[in-house]
Amino acid sequence: MKKVYLFKYGLTVLFLICAFSSAFAQKSVFKGKVVDELNQPLPGATIHVKETDQSTVTDANGVFSLVGNNQSVLTVQVTFIGYDVANLVIKANETAAIKLVPNSKSLTEVVVVGYGTVKKTDLTGSVANLGAKDLNPGSVTNPLQQIAGKAAGVNINEVGSEPGVAPSIRIRGITSLSGGNDPLVVVDGVQGNMEFLNQVPPSEIASIDILKDASATAIYGSRGATGVIIITTKKGAAGKATVEYNENTSLDVIPKQLQELTASQWTKQAELQGVDVSANHGSNTDWYNLLTRNGVTQNHTLAFGSGSNGFNYRASVSAINQTGVVLGSNYKKYIARIVATQKALDDKLTLTMNVNTGVNDANYSPIGVGNAAFTSNTISQAYIARPTDPVYNTDGTYFTDPNVFHYTNPYAIAKTVSNVVNQDELFGSLRADLDIYKGLSAGWFGSWRKVNQNTGYYAPVASTITDAVTYNGQAHINNDHTDEKLMDINLSYKRDFGLSHIDATAVYEYQIQTYFGSYSAARGFANDIATYNGLQLGTLASAQNGDVSSYKNDRKLVSYLGRVNYSYNNRYYLTASFRADGSSVFGANHHFGYFPSASAAWRIDQESFMANQKVFSMLKLRGGYGVTGNQQGLPVQGSISLYGLSTNNPTTYFGGQQISLYDYIQNANPDLRWESRSETNLGLDFGLFNDRLTGTVEAYTSKTTNLLYNYNVNISGPFKVNHIFANAGTLQNKGLEASLSYAVIKTKDVSLTLAGNGSLMQNKVLKLSGVIDGIQQSTNYQPWGTNAWLVEGQPIGTYLIYKHTGVNSNGVETFAGQNADGSFDATAQSKIRYNAGQSLPKYNYAFTPSFTYKNFDASMVWRGAGGNKVFNGLRSKLSMLENLGKQNLLQSAIATGIHSSAVQSDEWLESGNYLRFQNLSLGYRINVTNIKFISALRVSLTGQNLALITKYKGLDPEVDASGGSSSGGDYGIYPRTRTFSAGLNVILK
Amino acid sequence: MKKLLIFSVFIVGLAAQSCTKVNETVYDKYPAAAFAATPKGADNALAIVVAKITGTWGSNYAGRDNCWYDLNSFSSDEQVIPHRNTGDWQLDFAQLYTRTAPTSLGITNNTWNWLYGAIYSANDAVAQLTAAKADPSKIAEAKVMRDWFYYLLIDDFGDVPFYTDNNTDPNTIQQTKRADIYNFIVTELKANVDLLSETKGGVYYGRFNKWAGYMVLAKVYLNAEVYTGTPHWAEALAAATKVASGGFTLHPATANTASPNGNTYYELFGNTCPDDETILAEYITENIISGNIYTIRSLNSANGTALIGFNGWNGTVIPSEYYDKFDDKDIRKKQFLVGPQAGNITYTKDISSLIDPGAGPNEGIRNTKFLTVAPNDASGGSNDFPIYRYADVLLMQAECNVRLGNSAAAEPFLKQIRTRAGLGDIANPTLDDIYNERGFELNMEGHRRQDMIRFGKYLLPHGFVSAGAEYMKLFPIPAAVLTVNPKLKQNPGYPTN
Repeated sequence: MKKVYLFKYGLTVLFLICAFSSAFAQKSVFKGKVVDELNQPLPGATIHVKETDQSTVTDANGVFSLVGNNQSVLTVQVTFIGYDVANLVIKANETAAIKLVPNSKSLTEVVVVGYGTVKKTDLTGSVANLGAKDLNPGSVTNPLQQIAGKAAGVNINEVGSEPGVAPSIRIRGITSLSGGNDPLVVVDGVQGNMEFLNQVPPSEIASIDILKDASATAIYGSRGATGVIIITTKKGAAGKATVEYNENTSLDVIPKQLQELTASQWTKQAELQGVDVSANHGSNTDWYNLLTRNGVTQNHTLAFGSGSNGFNYRASVSAINQTGVVLGSNYKKYIARIVATQKALDDKLTLTMNVNTGVNDANYSPIGVGNAAFTSNTISQAYIARPTDPVYNTDGTYFTDPNVFHYTNPYAIAKTVSNVVNQDELFGSLRADLDIYKGLSAGWFGSWRKVNQNTGYYAPVASTITDAVTYNGQAHINNDHTDEKLMDINLSYKRDFGLSHIDATAVYEYQIQTYFGSYSAARGFANDIATYNGLQLGTLASAQNGDVSSYKNDRKLVSYLGRVNYSYNNRYYLTASFRADGSSVFGANHHFGYFPSASAAWRIDQESFMANQKVFSMLKLRGGYGVTGNQQGLPVQGSISLYGLSTNNPTTYFGGQQISLYDYIQNANPDLRWESRSETNLGLDFGLFNDRLTGTVEAYTSKTTNLLYNYNVNISGPFKVNHIFANAGTLQNKGLEASLSYAVIKTKDVSLTLAGNGSLMQNKVLKLSGVIDGIQQSTNYQPWGTNAWLVEGQPIGTYLIYKHTGVNSNGVETFAGQNADGSFDATAQSKIRYNAGQSLPKYNYAFTPSFTYKNFDASMVWRGAGGNKVFNGLRSKLSMLENLGKQNLLQSAIATGIHSSAVQSDEWLESGNYLRFQNLSLGYRINVTNIKFISALRVSLTGQNLALITKYKGLDPEVDASGGSSSGGDYGIYPRTRTFSAGLNVILK
Repeated sequence: MKKLLIFSVFIVGLAAQSCTKVNETVYDKYPAAAFAATPKGADNALAIVVAKITGTWGSNYAGRDNCWYDLNSFSSDEQVIPHRNTGDWQLDFAQLYTRTAPTSLGITNNTWNWLYGAIYSANDAVAQLTAAKADPSKIAEAKVMRDWFYYLLIDDFGDVPFYTDNNTDPNTIQQTKRADIYNFIVTELKANVDLLSETKGGVYYGRFNKWAGYMVLAKVYLNAEVYTGTPHWAEALAAATKVASGGFTLHPATANTASPNGNTYYELFGNTCPDDETILAEYITENIISGNIYTIRSLNSANGTALIGFNGWNGTVIPSEYYDKFDDKDIRKKQFLVGPQAGNITYTKDISSLIDPGAGPNEGIRNTKFLTVAPNDASGGSNDFPIYRYADVLLMQAECNVRLGNSAAAEPFLKQIRTRAGLGDIANPTLDDIYNERGFELNMEGHRRQDMIRFGKYLLPHGFVSAGAEYMKLFPIPAAVLTVNPKLKQNPGYPTN
């Protein structure tokens, strides 16, 4: 008891002494204003006083003030994320003007590396780090568009510009055939799949960190092999309240069209080719123009927040509204979020709550329509439709030609089919961090994410779609629910021992993801009033197998992980991590996987022998090795033998009645497990001439073993079903990456920085066979695209193709190696095929210069890829004269004179090289010092996809490069737009 | 402070202990072990085999396209789908017809895969039913179906991999001689047919009863010379006679406006195959249990709309030289459409081209033997398919008698068929008479290729088709199968790659 009293009174006495001492001491006031490179105030910058260990932050006007203890000068360190640290001496009773210079490497100081952060200078692995200022501006609907071209080895592949459809991303190429290549997405600590990005408002991103090599991603164990994207959203800053509004509106246009036969050209050719006159309906219709229009994309974000006394918050509402360039497609997205942080227990406990809710409403252009075997999206039907076909019959109904098998009128589809997807997303998380004792801290983190998606589809008779006509309209709905929970508990310890620094973390993590939903379909409606909203109005007699279905499954993941960072004298760095993952989707024989990693770095510039040289301002060598896994592609319940409704004959007739028939739908594979990827990375970071020239060069080599593949097996022995997901095969990836930035001009008013990055990557299939259930299986020479294959010793998607030689007198295409009677060896291993290259790009590069002059700023992104071939399937399909009677063809088809072909020859194989003028952005900060309520105002103009330099004959050589079996093929896409946008950013006082 | 630390570690440890179970939970399917071992599972195993027969697109005996029926029909002289000069129709069918199909043809691959899938199911059913000590008739039914599938395999492909135990690795076994498989089929059939039910129709509609079992035995004996070099006409006759003892009669053929094509004869190809004549049928309900496309595939668009309510596919035509053999009095000629038709179109009798540039849109004779019955839609109708019927038995009895040198004994069998068709009797019929009569009676029912081979007609030139080489009597083994199992040998005459 005594002690307590002593403590209590002691504190009071101490407080009084302090109060008196400050009252009696001579006060000196230090004031200052911190501004950015454009002389705009920087609220929230930290001022640290070396002499007294005091700290404060700037207010909304960038102003701070400190009370000194009778000093006349103070040495202060000013820090702000994204800017170089400023060390300076300030004088009492003067207002210091402190201008911070943006970090010359365009990198934030702190890098999020998963379950923790490290200083950029202390990194040992390969991590690309992008701050808000580095992200692509303009009309952006998905965070991936913001990083296109910005990081070496991180390739964003956008096929078409359909509203609501996300681009794909590949980090260091393709590491898996069937196991999935999408990276893990981590948003403010919550792990998710790519669709999670949908929930992140692009303008609310503070930084994006991309973990590239295995030594960095191994901490994510069985989800780390494909790389990790870590997004940190903006948080409330200390100081006064801020209110910020961002707006961007764009006009989206179609830059290029295919040159097809006009009505008169078609008529002339039809006569020449002997097409029956009944096929010519004498009209003149430009189907493509009819189905397309100019699109508009709007983007609004209102954000506000403040912070004081251990509490801060940020709230925002974002709205994205997009009208697609194809009739009937549009997209609306709204996201609201609040992040709040409260400190307690003498600032030892930090609680952070994050709530985010989003709504996505999309109308997609229907797919799965039309009679073309090679493509089923609506816009591609416009390529096929004959220009001589009218849009309407004389009675005003949509035209169809009953003499063409399953004829569909693309305009009727675009005008009458509903294809609506509504998605609601909600996630919340709570983080509690507690400083326990001298560098030891503990944390708890829990998150819960829910996604509810409802799909509605209705095709009326007027759509001309065969099934809709047959059944008087058809409708279906899907309800899909995702429920993902994650909880982790961590302990971490940070301490300096002399020149040594140690930072260790141990984490236990539990995740459960549950998926459930249902599907219902109905046909035969009296009218089109209720569409998919009243399925009970359909006709019972028209019900079919599969009209009703539902599902539920879940995957659980239990993990134990740890990481130790050790450094000595800020010169030598060592990181080691280990993770054990147990997952319910692994087979019974492999419930747990283990993923170790180690990496090291040497900051050569810190060595004493470097002290006297002036060339290198920074030099760091890094190297690491790690083992990661990929379990993304493992199907839920994929390892056990299952019975379900028979796929081919869900209903059969047996014993005098119709019965439901059950059959094996999956083989057992207790050996099923994660793909295992081991990777070695070597990197060099450098800064020359006082960091005027900075850059990074990295090389890596990786091997994926236990490669997942859906093997076709003979139904025999243990195999009850003709395919089995199994781990056999090996894949190798090698790559070289470089990024460079050179500050050509760096003065008070003008800056010009030339920056760029590039990557070379090559994969090779080493092995494609293995023993499954005691039976040798081989997948060598598996088709992987049009005339592209998986072949041992060759890259993924190697074209083994026939050499086009011409056309014979009957209009049949000829090719090298045919027998005299025209017959030929059609097998994959046919000797008359030759190796014509690969379907995935060998190199990607980007050039990203930026320029500022006083209040004006400009930036560009040029990016390109190449070394690959694209199979122009669309050109092939629109060039066969034999099809003229039922469809339109390209103008170029006439000269080739090819009526028909037994093969897809190299006549249609084209170089995939391109250079795209991706982005040009011009901005101007309007001087607002005299405006009462506005503290900053910026206007900008951005153009995207402004030019495409390529020899490719189709619309755009940037086709699917996701690494899947459709990679490298062009069979018609939703058009890729060129956009022109105007933006406004205003910050209120 | 230390207490807090210890407490924290304790909490962490406790939480970590609580969630370490990672076993899979199945919510929406049946784990195989929990299903197959039950009596319901054993019955289901038998139903799976039966369901394989009707199958669906690309994996069936008949009804939908691109499998056994197409392979065995378009390679004969009875029907063809020409490429159209309007761009319609791929070339597979015309290539099969003209003996110019590539070695690797989807239809051939599908047929092979369908049959081996069915054999696996049958092996599985035999094993499961035996393990469950099921009624012997059910085990026999599974075995007889397996025999039937092997009979269809050796008929099309000759020497093929043979196994009856699903633990066999088919990738490592060699082909078994056609004659050896023939012997197995005969032996197993003889041991099992008498165990089968004698019930006709009802719960046995669509299933192998005793009469269907003897029908298969008769068919196997009938073609024994093709399979083994040694004919077994007497045994074929005996087996056919056994089928006839099941009490079948020919379905009456009388003019009736309510019947398809205006005659009760065509009820044989309607919604349900009548029990009087049908020995084995496929039960079909459009889109629920497969579907029957044979009429909609043939009719042109407008004619289809007029006759069956949906646009026809403008596909199958009957070669004019085949059509010309029919007598005008023959009620079976009513199945053909030529000249002006409903829907305001006219079918020409002849076609100008099969492949390049292809036939004109309305060229060629069409077929409505399976005149579509409801429920039907744009992808077919609900006509059941007669795999075997009594008319075939009569023709086999007639053929065996002629083959055995007893032409006079053949006459009454043939006479029944001809009388029903509205034709006169043929005294002392020849083999050609039998062959032609089979062509008239059984066209569009999947028998033609086998008949042409057995009667030595298969390789003769006809219409657009030039003479074939001996090796063409067998189809090539699919390339994919050869790749997987290097021990298999391609049938002679085809590129081995």
